[in-house]
Amino acid sequence: MNKIMRGFLVFLRRNPALVGIIGVTIALSIITDSFLSVYNIINVFRQTSIMAIMGFGMTMVIISGGIDLSVGSVLALSAGVSASVLSGGYAFLGILVALVVGAAAGAFNGFMITKGKLQPFIVTLATMAIARSLTLGYMQGMPISRFPDSFTFIGRGTVAGIPMPIIILLSIFILSFYILKKTRLGLYIYSIGGNEEATKLSGINVDKYKIYVYVISGVFAAVSGMILAGRLNSAQPTFGTGYELDAIATVVLGGASLKGGKGTVYGTLFGALLLGIIKNGMNLMGVSPFYQDAVKGAIILIAVLMERKE
Amino acid sequence: MLLEMKTITKSFPGVLALDRVSFALEKGEVHALLGENGAGKSTLIKVLGGVYQPDSGEILLNGERVSFPTPHTSQQKGIAIIHQELMLADNLTIAENIFLGKEPGNAFDTKYKVMLKQSKKYLEMLDFDVDPGQKVGDLNVSEKQLVVICKALAYSSKIIVMDEPTATITQHEVGKLFEIIRNLSGKGISVIFITHRLSEVYQIADTVTVLRDGHYIGTEPVGNMNENKLVKMMVGREIENMYPKYNEPQEKVIFQVKNINVDGLKGSVSFDVRRGEIYGITGLVGSGKSELALGLFGARANSFEEMEINGHKIQSITSPSDALKNGISIVPEDRKSQGLILPFDITTNLALPNVKNFGSFFNVLWKRIKKRAVDEIKRFNIKTPSENQLVKNLSGGNQQKVVLAKFLMQKPEIVIFVEPTRGIDVGAKIEVYNLINDLANQGIGVILISSEIPEIVSLCDRAMVMHRGEKVFVLDRTELTPENILKAGTGLVENE
Repeated sequence: MNKIMRGFLVFLRRNPALVGIIGVTIALSIITDSFLSVYNIINVFRQTSIMAIMGFGMTMVIISGGIDLSVGSVLALSAGVSASVLSGGYAFLGILVALVVGAAAGAFNGFMITKGKLQPFIVTLATMAIARSLTLGYMQGMPISRFPDSFTFIGRGTVAGIPMPIIILLSIFILSFYILKKTRLGLYIYSIGGNEEATKLSGINVDKYKIYVYVISGVFAAVSGMILAGRLNSAQPTFGTGYELDAIATVVLGGASLKGGKGTVYGTLFGALLLGIIKNGMNLMGVSPFYQDAVKGAIILIAVLMERKE
Repeated sequence: MLLEMKTITKSFPGVLALDRVSFALEKGEVHALLGENGAGKSTLIKVLGGVYQPDSGEILLNGERVSFPTPHTSQQKGIAIIHQELMLADNLTIAENIFLGKEPGNAFDTKYKVMLKQSKKYLEMLDFDVDPGQKVGDLNVSEKQLVVICKALAYSSKIIVMDEPTATITQHEVGKLFEIIRNLSGKGISVIFITHRLSEVYQIADTVTVLRDGHYIGTEPVGNMNENKLVKMMVGREIENMYPKYNEPQEKVIFQVKNINVDGLKGSVSFDVRRGEIYGITGLVGSGKSELALGLFGARANSFEEMEINGHKIQSITSPSDALKNGISIVPEDRKSQGLILPFDITTNLALPNVKNFGSFFNVLWKRIKKRAVDEIKRFNIKTPSENQLVKNLSGGNQQKVVLAKFLMQKPEIVIFVEPTRGIDVGAKIEVYNLINDLANQGIGVILISSEIPEIVSLCDRAMVMHRGEKVFVLDRTELTPENILKAGTGLVENE
């Protein structure tokens, strides 16, 4: 028992975001009477799902030593392109189109970074602009709405009382966890971020696996786009604006290093939940939305400072 | 006495790094500080440099008791430390680097002309003919060292500490550096010289102090010491043979390459290696031997007319994974940047090139890798508390053993060792040499690429000397002498 306790304490020390979640949960349960209810907790998870799923892709990118600024725009582009299929009544095909668009955008990023030998920051910054502009052009600046019920189910439906976004969130979490923990790709992602040169000299095709990582990030952005479109029964060209920064924030809160080689998906999940709980708490307490981002910024700084003390 | 460090003790959690160590330095003296890795040399230097505070003991400078709470105070008192990793800003000019932090003029008006003129003066003191306006990034390692020495002069340092300055420069440049050290000592500047190479102690030092496991072993005038005595002081036991050689080359050729050209090298090279043979490749820095190693391993673009490994024709080697598949393995030159992922544990580092043998792409069998790691730790005698130890916490010698274990796990036909003993201590060196012999006796062809001439002379059955990207000479065991290698390496002899 003692050993389990000590293990838990070590785990807490390594995950300041989890400490934050516990602290904020206790505080909000005392201050407000609406926070600690099953309904509200499920609500927080549901609202967090989009940020967390993008965060999981971003986690892999950041562990590999890169960054992906294009996820918000890729979310919009994949949702926008698939919306024209979805509004024709083809749910399955629409989802497939979205995933393909996400994967293609990710592959483009990966190719430019590896074969073009460009910095990830620059490449994904360019993709961010290009994808947003293509989205606006494709949709002519107008939302596309009215999707089949079988599609909106993924944003609004529930299974055994659990909303679909949470089920998707948990599935993607398990998938990401498995990739990083158990597959060769996972080992390579860590080692590329830890020392790319040494990884190359170990006979590993670094370029190929880097491309995979950006493809995964693009696909996860598309999944997030599907949840968002499903929930709103509409796709809008402004979808996902600024989400890339939230995704990066969740990863950093989760203890990953922007230098690469370090990070976990559960850390990112904690990071996303912490941001979600704080946002929810501020809404419940009636904090002006004007000041909410200031609190978010402060939380990020505190978490990173705490981690550096380690 | 210029400097006296008396009974310095310094401990870190769990380690007594220095146990009542004393050290004394005369004015104008060149004083070698010797010891294996972990002996406490760097800790002692860091105490002197104000990086660490001693737990007890005192430091006297000109008979006056001093303390160095920060690196800055130590610098102010005339102590300059030149680390192995030269602390220079590559993007600034030589003059800007020399005067970094003490630029002439005021905050709004830097007197660049004064800076350039003063720099020129310091550079001339070292007979270093270079434009001080040139960017430091364009200089080679040995030239950068000179810039750091100029920087020390600009601080009017009385004591210059050089931490293994010869580890990364060529024999020829070492000669030049020694001239400069003598020149400094003639001007009354004292030099503390840290090295792993015993021969250098005789060439340059007046006095030698040996540390071992954090203890002070002794200080002697160099004239009183012979090599065996020094090694015994360092290692704590008699070493019979620094360079064991017991491999038995066979007749059968295992590796053969005809006219391989590596990207960035002018010439092309042909050679062959027999089973059980240790084939040396040496030459000065810039001779192309490191590039050739990377080319043979597919880490650099290359082309060749013919290549044969164990009788099989090889069409092309375009990546390290090609090389590994065909039985070529490498122990890369720089274990920190090429060999290891320092912040990761031993298990993960061992897994990297070998993970394909443990489960499938979607299911890596980590438990089996861990078990194998435990075996490899035993086999290579890696000193570590467990297989979960982070590699960055291991000593240089043990790190190098992790690199060896990692690249030898797949039973290669050919192993290219590139500077395998750089920066590791005597005990670990001998272990590496024994391992090279053992590998050869398993029928593997060993290519030993090294700038350490004694290593090449003592270990190799044949050696190729390179100059400007081309093979200039192949020396047989009977012809392998330091003189022949030097002559060939400087291009003084005609192409064979």
